[in-house]
Amino acid sequence: MYDEHVLTDEGCRNVWKNGKKVGYCVNLKINYYRGLPICCIDQISLEVDGEKVDPSSMILQHNGKEYPYLEILKDDFPTDVYWLFGEKLRVVVKREGGIDQGRHHVKVTLGTRRSYTPTMISVCEKELTFA
Amino acid sequence: MKMDYDIKLGVSLYSYQDNYYFHKHDLEGCIAAAAGSGATGIEVMPEAMIPEWPYISDSFVDKWNGWIERYGVEPVCLDHFSDRAMWKNKQLSDDQLFERSVWYIKAANKLGCSLIRLLHNEHIGVGISPYRLTDVKIAERLLPICAEYGVTMALECHAPTTIDDPIHEPYLEVAEKLGLPFVGLMADFSSYEYCISRADVGQVVRKGGTEKIINFIRESQREAYYKGQPFVYEEIKDRVEKMKPNEIDREFIEFHTKSTGPASYKVLKDYSSKLVYIHAKFYDIDENGQVDNMDYPKIFQALKEGGYKGYICSEFEGNRRMNDAGWVDEIDYIRKHQKLMRKCLED
Repeated sequence: MYDEHVLTDEGCRNVWKNGKKVGYCVNLKINYYRGLPICCIDQISLEVDGEKVDPSSMILQHNGKEYPYLEILKDDFPTDVYWLFGEKLRVVVKREGGIDQGRHHVKVTLGTRRSYTPTMISVCEKELTFA
Repeated sequence: MKMDYDIKLGVSLYSYQDNYYFHKHDLEGCIAAAAGSGATGIEVMPEAMIPEWPYISDSFVDKWNGWIERYGVEPVCLDHFSDRAMWKNKQLSDDQLFERSVWYIKAANKLGCSLIRLLHNEHIGVGISPYRLTDVKIAERLLPICAEYGVTMALECHAPTTIDDPIHEPYLEVAEKLGLPFVGLMADFSSYEYCISRADVGQVVRKGGTEKIINFIRESQREAYYKGQPFVYEEIKDRVEKMKPNEIDREFIEFHTKSTGPASYKVLKDYSSKLVYIHAKFYDIDENGQVDNMDYPKIFQALKEGGYKGYICSEFEGNRRMNDAGWVDEIDYIRKHQKLMRKCLED
């Protein structure tokens, strides 16, 4: 359905603070035909240039709000916060020094739970240029 | 042309999902597309196209009502998928799902929809959904809320089930027991497929399936249907095996050869007067303007003769079967589909 569009080529860049790189980010779109509560995300696993990204270093930003990735995986996370259909979910990876500007191989595995079908796992890999 | 039937045609905005997902059209654009196809009603999935969901502000309602007036369509139905699998280690309790369902009923009322398409636990049969959806006990608790807000729960009877499958009956019985007729059956045309759609053939071939094999099965299904005979896969299995199907073929065959043909048109006619809503599902339209794997003229004849009163909404599901090969022109598909349905009503 949207598997190949999960990882977008929009807005990949370093995240800066006080003139220094403190991380980098990619933007994801949902792998379903409607939006889902963010707590229905079963997993977001990132691999950059073959290296697994530490989940505890990931922060999600969406619709003007920010959530540490591990928080949204917790039972009882609010159910009224939605990942909007067609809208980007920004995944920020905290990492001193950020990422080298230029092309990198990025692989994301996105799992979402939905009402009447098993958890949908989408794998999307792309060469992306980070600003 | 004069129409003697109390049947109206609408569009589920789900049909325009790629236009929305890829930002070619926003909600207003989708409503405009539906109105432009000649439809007079719309169905909306709140989680897909209402950005402030689950809250609906007065200003959104004002905007919505403005579109309804501007485009001359009426709100028909709001979708409720009965999502329960909120967390990794636990799901919504019955009380929580009930409370959540109340959101949808209130939202439908706010937006002027008199129906919610409710995914009830048996909507695709028993034991298929990994989670328990809205069941009869929860539905029973929702009935008084529906009565208060003037919203009816439409129970979608999706293939492999049909409208006459007894698994849907308990919902109607509980409504009757309480004297609250705010739940009813909804037919989905998926029950009336008589062969594999070309949209599915294309997709499985792009995944590595064998075109010759899948088309052979499709042709066998069509032949059986037009001869008025049931399709029995066992009868052609040897010939399929000789063509050496690969794993992708086998998986596809397993899923697409269980049905022996469309559900009964006679039953559809008999049930027509008590259906509350209908999804005219389709995947592809052929060169003659017909849906390529369902007999729309026969289906509509049954609905007209049976006295169906209400909306039939286009539900285009070809997008997700074909968009791996490129852009799917949902707007044009719906335009053709509405034209076909108007013709079926007039004939």
